[in-house]
Amino acid sequence: MKKVTSEISGTVFSLPWLVAKDNGLFEAEGIEIEFVRAAGGRPAQVTENPEDINPILGHVAFEEGRVSIYRA
Amino acid sequence: MRPDSNHYYPGTLGNQPIAVQFHAGSHYVALRLLEGYLPKDKIKLVNYGSPEQRFEAMMNGDVEAAAVMEPWIALGEKLGCRAVCEGHYLGAESASDDMDPETFQALNRAVANAVDMINADKKKYLHYLIYDPRMAKALAKYGGLTPDDFHLPRLRYTYNTNYTDEIVEDTYHWMNGWGLISDSACAADLVDNRLAEPTAANDEGCPR
Repeated sequence: MKKVTSEISGTVFSLPWLVAKDNGLFEAEGIEIEFVRAAGGRPAQVTENPEDINPILGHVAFEEGRVSIYRA
Repeated sequence: MRPDSNHYYPGTLGNQPIAVQFHAGSHYVALRLLEGYLPKDKIKLVNYGSPEQRFEAMMNGDVEAAAVMEPWIALGEKLGCRAVCEGHYLGAESASDDMDPETFQALNRAVANAVDMINADKKKYLHYLIYDPRMAKALAKYGGLTPDDFHLPRLRYTYNTNYTDEIVEDTYHWMNGWGLISDSACAADLVDNRLAEPTAANDEGCPR
């Protein structure tokens, strides 16, 4: 089994990944999948300037190399 | 829109604060939808962060409207809120440099099989949305959701495909027009399809 760690962010975007895991579809492809939740829980930063917001958003685990794939 | 809002279509939302998450789908789709009704300088987007924070900002009256996705749309409509415009956008799978094409393709096959399962019976999988841990606080506050609260055609799942050069270039130019990407960035540098097309080589210049 090849291990792959994937970030999960909004459930609506990751739904096929969740269904695939719970139904053994990754295992059938020889992949052991692990999910890591995107970073959340940040206080609302209210601003009208997009430059005030780091575009990495919650995809910290990917930026740090702790997951090898994410979706947005 | 809140149930008591006087807005019924996007054209009256000029200079009204609208909650989005900057640099995410809600930001881009809000611009794409509103620019069809309003001059650029009247579109007033405000970053509030997560879907829950945007939803709460709307319900509290801090903003006039919020851009959200499911299951927040279903929750809002259950509470009497209404959508004034809706749009769909492409998702993206982003893989790290060290992922080999075989693994990426195996992942895609598994996900494609799941897409088939979801499309065969969307209602069967709504519990993932209804019991999303990030919904728990809102559901406790506003009441629960049931599968009947969802408009199933909103949930659109299809197989992963490559972004075409045309989509990348069109999107690049659109983002550039809004000042959301540097002039010095190159569309061809932003999307690398080598995992799906390992033999493809993109040595073209930067499209302008």
